[in-house]
Amino acid sequence: MGQETDGPVASSDRLTRRELLRKAGAGAVAIGVAGTAVPYSFAGPLRYKGRDLKGDLTIIQWVHFVPAYDEWFDKTWCPQWGQKNDVQVNVEHINNTLLDTRAAAEVAAQSGHDLFFNLHPMASYEDQVINHASIVHEIESKVGKYGELGRLSTYNPKTKKYFAVSDNYVPDPVVWRHDLWNDIGESPATWDHVRKAAPKLKAKGHPIGIGQSQEVDSNMALMAFLMCFGGFIQDEHNRPTLYSKHTVEAVQFMTDIYKRGEDSTIFGWNPASNNNYLYAGTASLILNAISATRTPESLNLPFSDELWIWPIPAGPHGRIGLEHVMGCYNIWKFSKNKENAEKFLADLCINYKAATTASQLYNFPSFPGAFPFAGIRKAAAADSHKPHGKYSILTTIAQRYTHNIGYPGTTNAAMDEVFSKYLIPQMFARVSQGKATANESVRDTMSVVKNIYAKWRKRGKI
Amino acid sequence: MRFAQAAGGRTRFRYALERRGVLAALLISPAVLFIGVLVGVPLVLAVYLSFTDATAGSLTGKWLGFDNFSNALHDQVFREALWHTFLFTVISQAIVIVVAGLLAHALVRSFRGRWLIRFVILLPWAAPIALTAIGFLWFYDPQASIFTWILEHVHLASKDNPPNWLGTPRAAMSSIITVQAWRTVPFATVIFLAGVSSIPQEVDDAAAMDGATGLRKFWHVSLPLQLPIALVAVLFGIVFTATDMVVPYILTNGGPFNSTQVLTTWAFQTGINAGNIGEGAAIALFMLPLLAVVVVGMLFFARRAEVT
Amino acid sequence: MSAALRHKLFPYAIAVPFAVVLGFPFLWMAITSLKPEYQVYDPTKVWHFHPTLASYGFLLHHTDYLRWVRNSCLVGLAVVVITLVVAMPAGYALARLAGRVGRTLGVAIFLTYLVPPTLLFLPLSRVVAQYLHLSDRLWSLIVVYPSFTIPFAIWLLMGFFKTIPQELEDAALIDGCSRIGALVRIVFPISLPGILTVVIFTFSLVVNEFVYAITFISSSSNRTVPVGVPTDLIRGDLYNWPGIMAAILIPSIPLALVYNAFLNRFIAGFTGGAFR
Repeated sequence: MGQETDGPVASSDRLTRRELLRKAGAGAVAIGVAGTAVPYSFAGPLRYKGRDLKGDLTIIQWVHFVPAYDEWFDKTWCPQWGQKNDVQVNVEHINNTLLDTRAAAEVAAQSGHDLFFNLHPMASYEDQVINHASIVHEIESKVGKYGELGRLSTYNPKTKKYFAVSDNYVPDPVVWRHDLWNDIGESPATWDHVRKAAPKLKAKGHPIGIGQSQEVDSNMALMAFLMCFGGFIQDEHNRPTLYSKHTVEAVQFMTDIYKRGEDSTIFGWNPASNNNYLYAGTASLILNAISATRTPESLNLPFSDELWIWPIPAGPHGRIGLEHVMGCYNIWKFSKNKENAEKFLADLCINYKAATTASQLYNFPSFPGAFPFAGIRKAAAADSHKPHGKYSILTTIAQRYTHNIGYPGTTNAAMDEVFSKYLIPQMFARVSQGKATANESVRDTMSVVKNIYAKWRKRGKI
Repeated sequence: MRFAQAAGGRTRFRYALERRGVLAALLISPAVLFIGVLVGVPLVLAVYLSFTDATAGSLTGKWLGFDNFSNALHDQVFREALWHTFLFTVISQAIVIVVAGLLAHALVRSFRGRWLIRFVILLPWAAPIALTAIGFLWFYDPQASIFTWILEHVHLASKDNPPNWLGTPRAAMSSIITVQAWRTVPFATVIFLAGVSSIPQEVDDAAAMDGATGLRKFWHVSLPLQLPIALVAVLFGIVFTATDMVVPYILTNGGPFNSTQVLTTWAFQTGINAGNIGEGAAIALFMLPLLAVVVVGMLFFARRAEVT
Repeated sequence: MSAALRHKLFPYAIAVPFAVVLGFPFLWMAITSLKPEYQVYDPTKVWHFHPTLASYGFLLHHTDYLRWVRNSCLVGLAVVVITLVVAMPAGYALARLAGRVGRTLGVAIFLTYLVPPTLLFLPLSRVVAQYLHLSDRLWSLIVVYPSFTIPFAIWLLMGFFKTIPQELEDAALIDGCSRIGALVRIVFPISLPGILTVVIFTFSLVVNEFVYAITFISSSSNRTVPVGVPTDLIRGDLYNWPGIMAAILIPSIPLALVYNAFLNRFIAGFTGGAFR
């Protein structure tokens, strides 16, 4: 029984035997494992004969885009942490689109995983989770302050509660085809440049690829685009401010870009579509995390060396971007192993340098002290893909041009609902498809937004 | 009863089991128990939730009375979702009825290759719908859609302006209707086939003797006899389609800008993604009375039309 | 064209075009599953490419796919058994014994389908976790699925039992059989076609179910096919198309073959034997 985990089938067979032993020992007929650790996945530590680890910890998180990260997390980090702390760590991975469903189900069932991960801060679940302040302070005492981005995303100033801890965020650059843009003598330095270049690029069969669909990439891109023009969904006091002349101007600008430089497929996209648009060689520019460059590298696509990474183009109001996704862990009030969960989370964030490296620089630490930007830049510069050093700009993007959803306010439940209902992409799409004028669309969206904010204000969350 | 007399010393229990009512109750009770606990209890809870402002998975909340329902009725997206649900259900099932009806008639007689054709027709039903819906994402892919390729090669579409399967309201609606019809046809065909085959040979012969053939025979003889079975197949098709969210959810997620949002997907987005459980429950429950009316109405009509 | 020829061609004229439309996606699935992943978007390689079994290999060796198939089959069979055990007596009771009440209950059966699982799964997850203590176990699905397979099975069996001549049972009763005895010894054995019908429809309902599977099961080794495949073959924004296509084909073809083989029995089931 002292063998190394061999792979999913081998280890789950062995664990099933362990289960049987447990059952026989307990003499129970009904297996009362209300959602806590029944280790079926292959995240088992090296087991010595007869020894069982004392504590338990169950974690659920997404299937990371970079498989190497999950390898590191499941097979190195968790087992080592488990050994050191005498805790049996059990990690489950599910598709990120299913995390919301699972969260609702676990809360409804009042039983589930001790540590719950999602790619966006689950502000509306504030009442179901503990106050994570102690974890934040623990981490800050070791590696320095919580980054502004992380803090504004996981803290509710009204209830003074940290409803999650963000371990990482992913910067959101533009990924563009240097060869195609060079041919027309342009570069995406500002949105004006993009608008000018768009018709020329489209004429050559390489339109721009910024989606206006009901999916997360469109959400992120368009919300950031709005901010570059000075259009903000809420102000720093979390009051809705969507309807402004800046927003209307931004919507008209994007409609212009669409009409002249994009094709109509952008309205029916899912999160993979803009990537595929790029991988097929069609798109000249998309807004996406570096998965859009890593995949061409791994698939050896002919133009992968021509894919450049730049910060979001600047608008009249400046260069303001959002994170592409933000990893947040929370601990349910009904978790059975809160202490283990708190310690795990703290240790993970404190040692985040290893995580960032394992994710091939996809995950940036929300507690920057864990892996200072200078260090990340050096690691990025060492990346061998052409053009050399292209990933080092990620640190600039992360430091200067990445903000939280709801900037300049905090990420809150109302903002979350605006996000989940894809109100911003719809606002743009209606105008681009000619179903409404920019003014009408923004005004209508504003009234929906106002209702949402009023509702959550009534619930005392803003 | 003649039984009890014949058997003499039966216990009262055994005697009771001979009574139709008792036996019936006994035989039905496991089913009632199952359905009662696993459908009834959650349903009651869901109804309760729809009257509260429960959020984020919580199963309790503040009582709101009918607020969730009236807010829904005033919400334009909800009204559109109601209309889309109607369109989605009626059009897809109309297609299914016609296609399944034709196929059933074609497949009832034996012919060379029938086995192979039946196998192919059954495939959409055998494949798990969650996966085939993802598969259709690939078939409708903006870059690499095979349907686009076909249309371009028979010159029904141009390379510069390929069909935008999931990107415009009308096209997206047609796409999800098509996929829903595609997956339901085998199920309906099998049931219709049973109906067609159940026409006793004597009736067929009698009709032939009376000179009724082809369309006339279909209208006056086949159709009335198949109606009970056909109607129930249609009913299940309607109910399954109206309460199913897989196809619109995976293909369009309600887009573009809510033009393919149906009640189930809207309830899901509101209740789960946005965390408004109470509102989501209210939206999902709206369907119940509407569908109940449809179901009861059709069954009543079926009973009248039954030919036994 | 002579009437006889028209008669002969009629099935082909109808069935073949529809079979093409229904089956073409599967052909394209098969082709895609044989392409190397980096070539799926290559417009020059739509039909001409080097076929490879890499995606099948990936599915079978680098994911828990076989385990998911096993789980789906286990759950399917268990649910079929439970459904039959519960629905057969109930269907018989409604067909024979309950009279008018039976007909009303028959209508009530449909009504249980009017509530979407997208709503029920939340309260049900509480039931499964707190009262049944079956979180993350296949048993949770085995216990919950019959709630939507039993009503349909009852309807099917009701219709089927109605076609069995009453005389058969009456003869048994006259011979001294109890009602239950008649049920078990006479009715059930000749119901084989009806039973097969229920088996196929129930199994197909189980295999297609997705919402409860994602809600109650979280560990990879306990997943069923519809849940496991999107998780392991869709990484963030990267869809492994060849892998996904292979994952669809592997269970569908055997299932369709089985359904096809039983199709004649279904028809017999509905008509009580009076079929051509």
